[in-house]
Amino acid sequence: MTNEKQETTAITLTVNGETMSGVVEPRMLLSDFIRQDLQLTGTHVGCEHGVCGACTILIDGVSVRSCLTFAVQAEGCRIETVEGLLERDGKLSPLQQAFSDHHALQCGFCTPGLLMTATELLRTRPGASRDDIRDAISGNLCRCTGYQTIIDAISDMGTRLLAEEKSA
Amino acid sequence: MTIETKIGIGASMPRREDARLLSGRGRFTDDLLLPRMAHAAMFGSPHAHARIVSIDTAAAAALKGVLGVFTGKDLAGVMGPMPTLATPPVVQHCVAIERARHVGEPIAVVVAESRYIAEDAVALIEVEFEELPVVVDPEAAVKSTGNAVLHPEFGSNIVHQSRHAWGPVEEAFSQAAHVVCREFRWPRVGPQPLETCAAIADYDAITGHFQVWANMSQQSVIGPKFAKILHTDMAHMTFHIRDVGGSFGGKATLYHVPLLAAVLSREIGRPVKFVEDRAEHMTAGNQHASDRLYKAELAINAENRFTGLRLRVLDDMGAYFLIATGAHGNALAQATGPYQIDALEYDLTCVVTNKTQQAPYRGFGGEVGNFVLERMVDAAAAELGVHPVELRRRNFIANDQFPYRTPVGNLYDSGDYTRVLDAAMALADEHKIWDLPKHAAPGKRIGVGLATVNERSVLSMTEFWLLDADPIFPQSSSPESVQVSIHADGTVNVSIFAPHWGNSPETMAAQITAHELMIPPEWIRVVQVGTDGGMLSKGPAGSRYTAMLAGAILGACTKLKQRILAFGAHRLGVLMDEVEYADGQVTCKVDTSRAISLPDIARASHSHRLDFPGDDQTFRSGLTESFTCDHPRATLPTQDRTDLGIFYPIVGHACHIAVIEVDEATQSSRVIRYVAVHDAGTIVNPRLVDGQIRGGIAQGIGTALYEQYLYDEEGQLVNATLADYGVPTSEEIPDMILGHVETPSPFTAYGIKGCGEGGRLAAMPALAAAFDDAYRDRNLYVDRLPMTPSALHTKLSQLKPV
Amino acid sequence: MKPAPFSFHRPSSISQCLELLHALADGDAKVLAGGQSLIPMMNFRMAQPEALIDLSGIADLEGIRLQDDNLIIGAMSRHNAIKADELVAIHAPLISLAYDHVAHFTIRNRGTLGGNLCHSDPASEMPAVMRVLGAQMEIASADGRRLVSADQFFFGPFATAVEPEELLVAIRIPVSPRGRRYSFHEVSLRKGDFAMSAIAAAVDLDVEGRVMRARIGLCGVSDIALRAENAEEGLVGEYLNLAAATAAADAAVTSIEFNDTAAISASYRRDLTRALIIRALLGCTEERL
Repeated sequence: MTNEKQETTAITLTVNGETMSGVVEPRMLLSDFIRQDLQLTGTHVGCEHGVCGACTILIDGVSVRSCLTFAVQAEGCRIETVEGLLERDGKLSPLQQAFSDHHALQCGFCTPGLLMTATELLRTRPGASRDDIRDAISGNLCRCTGYQTIIDAISDMGTRLLAEEKSA
Repeated sequence: MTIETKIGIGASMPRREDARLLSGRGRFTDDLLLPRMAHAAMFGSPHAHARIVSIDTAAAAALKGVLGVFTGKDLAGVMGPMPTLATPPVVQHCVAIERARHVGEPIAVVVAESRYIAEDAVALIEVEFEELPVVVDPEAAVKSTGNAVLHPEFGSNIVHQSRHAWGPVEEAFSQAAHVVCREFRWPRVGPQPLETCAAIADYDAITGHFQVWANMSQQSVIGPKFAKILHTDMAHMTFHIRDVGGSFGGKATLYHVPLLAAVLSREIGRPVKFVEDRAEHMTAGNQHASDRLYKAELAINAENRFTGLRLRVLDDMGAYFLIATGAHGNALAQATGPYQIDALEYDLTCVVTNKTQQAPYRGFGGEVGNFVLERMVDAAAAELGVHPVELRRRNFIANDQFPYRTPVGNLYDSGDYTRVLDAAMALADEHKIWDLPKHAAPGKRIGVGLATVNERSVLSMTEFWLLDADPIFPQSSSPESVQVSIHADGTVNVSIFAPHWGNSPETMAAQITAHELMIPPEWIRVVQVGTDGGMLSKGPAGSRYTAMLAGAILGACTKLKQRILAFGAHRLGVLMDEVEYADGQVTCKVDTSRAISLPDIARASHSHRLDFPGDDQTFRSGLTESFTCDHPRATLPTQDRTDLGIFYPIVGHACHIAVIEVDEATQSSRVIRYVAVHDAGTIVNPRLVDGQIRGGIAQGIGTALYEQYLYDEEGQLVNATLADYGVPTSEEIPDMILGHVETPSPFTAYGIKGCGEGGRLAAMPALAAAFDDAYRDRNLYVDRLPMTPSALHTKLSQLKPV
Repeated sequence: MKPAPFSFHRPSSISQCLELLHALADGDAKVLAGGQSLIPMMNFRMAQPEALIDLSGIADLEGIRLQDDNLIIGAMSRHNAIKADELVAIHAPLISLAYDHVAHFTIRNRGTLGGNLCHSDPASEMPAVMRVLGAQMEIASADGRRLVSADQFFFGPFATAVEPEELLVAIRIPVSPRGRRYSFHEVSLRKGDFAMSAIAAAVDLDVEGRVMRARIGLCGVSDIALRAENAEEGLVGEYLNLAAATAAADAAVTSIEFNDTAAISASYRRDLTRALIIRALLGCTEERL
């Protein structure tokens, strides 16, 4: 038996602002495309059934499980991964720094997914309360931290963003 | 918020590990992409117990992109069975040969150009099985006969049976004024880290050398066994260190994943990556935790003092016995808890069943022992009509009794249990915890529960065999090494030999070295070195790493400081006892304006050998010292085991106060408040310790309310997905109120005690007590976990109606 | 866990999609909506379609609008879009109430209502909600369009009235009459988990508080979403108080066969369902349009 259905397709998409392309089978998961073909290994794979959230990225600004998306579905889309959060000079962004300051990570495996979920939240609702934040991150499993310091970091970031908005 | 600017021990120094982990540059095993790397997948048994009659791999092998298909028989010629610590051994092969003993057990493995193709090939493998009787109930396993016996050479499914008594057990029970009896069922859960097991191996056929990158630890200790299984030796192995996405003990043992990657690489002549998927990890990962039934009896005298504890334990090990009785040795370190109980009996039966086997999980049996003992204390309080807090105070080991020898012979180094309890009660008062039940919303019940437990730390290794009369491998080494190297410019390289699990080893190394050498942390770089570095490292396990690393750093820096003083004194033209080292320089005691900096000393030591006495080895070139720290206090058990020796003498203590709210109509519950005070001796980094405690408590909440591996009668794991296995989300874990007490250890560097397991050693009994409190009017007594809504409903239906 | 191979198609219209379904009729072709239910099954290889037809390029499947007395929700409308929609909040508030319990935010970004309904997971909330709302499913085929009521739509797990060469294109919900009261209550083990039991209720009361009409939907208790028709009938004419709610709950659970599952006893699920029905019905005395 050969894999007759493996007709590959060329895809082009924007990843962290850069145009990237690849040639993929239809069944290739976007998580694998990002990690293996694009060699952006910051996005992690924890379950491949959409529960743990470690693979969370942004597609056209909206958080998505990359393990529940085929790479071909991302044709023409604007992808953001954790690598794209860094500042232009390669330093940690204020959100990433807030995670460090508040000790919001231990092993770091869930962290990229959480950062993307937090990015979506802070762009749309920087004023989110602790309860809102707790609800917003409830789709990202963390086995190390107990979540409290993650909420601290996101809440702190939200407060800063609101203050910046006010002073702007 | 303010960023910590203090340095050294006691400072909440920011983490070294964060930069790469936050920027997506973590070094997890699956992140490594090697040229020409192939991918493995496995055919897992669909049956829980079955003889393998035949395996047809022809179609799989013919699939385009497949590089090889291997059965257990194929590999039997090129690799030995898995290691085991059991006496006698329970034989396990990475890929089953004669029969499958649990669902998911590897029956064949495929190597292909991609994991996708490898899985396509797995789907083409045809296996003929002859099903055998399945046993999933440990009580049934005790009586198994015939084809229900998993390992025929044992004649039964009992792989260990022992009974030990220490202290005056008979007397305690025959003279007791009161005896409390209870039975308990401890659930099978697992560490369930976000990252599954993964390995890449690259075999060089010309040199016969293996390179292994895997999310394992203690490579230097396990390496020789690993090599032997592959019919080679350590001269032909290099283990590299990778970041680990959580372990909680599970990845500390030697399991099949890296062994398979290695043997497959040798077979096909290319690097091979093998990453468990989540289903494989849950069904066949060899990483489930204690699964036990207890019959417990507590003898109490007329003064309401505990005089004896009897425990009869049945443990369902799963299909194999890699960790042997380690999780029971572990529990024995503190089976009598923080209480003065002079007599202990431990009657243990371990059985094998058709499930994946046990591995260590944060607590490693200590948390189960703590649960049982604390539940017995609560039962005693209820039966005696004594307040549970008062009963604990009355029975605590007093401060003047430390170091305290337990009936089995272990030592508790230091403690102040009353102070921890008082601190927890004060925090609870401050946060008005005790008022909460009164203010429960209509239709809700609120219960408050308390537990006081010991937290043994810094494992030695005797726990794995001290219940065996004649162990085949009575190992007793638990070393930790470091190499501290000062460059010519005065900056420092610290080499550690253990991986990062989430426990911040690089931060610990930088912080403690900065403390010792009194230099800014920015001068220090920490590197993780694998086995080619030649130094021994047991790595993270048993809450040992920070304490042992500190000992190693202290040892290396002490040697370094002697040589630094020698170089400095020589340069300053004075004698050694006329100088001292502080704040990165050597200074004359009588004239502090005469000093020489560490960088200047370093440069001299690197470049100006002939300025110093040629025949004095103190002045040999360079400032590099390594140190291997062994357990500071461990001793061997006696041959007759009447004294188990000192095996876990570094003992912390905690008091947890948990608050749960239950919806009366639906039995749905959640944890709404949590207070925890820990004594982990000297704290190196308060913020990181708090993180460990919160994480441990979160896992404790998971065990108490949400998690359980569920097997049906056919041995199918029915909840083998993360949708069905209840790892808590952010909605299930409340913010926690933490406090600290520090009673330094007299035995460790700086008095550090281990805290990695702490939260999970204490949480479950506190939560069980909270449920009891919520239903005090119904005399609820939680003797099994998890207390899911359905479990609570069942329990309540068994109680007498009001 | 990687899916088995398949061919991938992306039609840009409903008619193109139907043509593809016809062309691929001999193989096992499936439409791909949000993928949040289908792709996990494919990753586990529990589903191995030979062809996937991606619906995300079909504009006619999107959109939420009012038409006469119906709220029309395009089958490819994403959960979060529906949850945030003003028209839905006004004309079908039960949907907004139920969405608090549906999965997690990120899943709801991609998951679609049409996909969820066609997946017909017994523990999923929306099928029961649709039955309570008296929704109609608009199904397209080469022969035109047909409407199937929610009560006739769900056959069993993963099985609905949509035939192999048909496509669910929209969900039509009668606009909520003024004064109708809604309630939704669910218990799951963790937030976002499948329901152990969940109840959707819609009640019309007269000026004196007597029930004129009641609808009670149940999810998680059987292999499809149920309606407690006997309980609904029994409530008509009654004052909606604890006694009436209790009687309705008793009537509802008596007619259901509850089974033990690995983690949940039948007895618990029955008592839970009963408690949630009472809670949902009494909730209708406070919650209103």
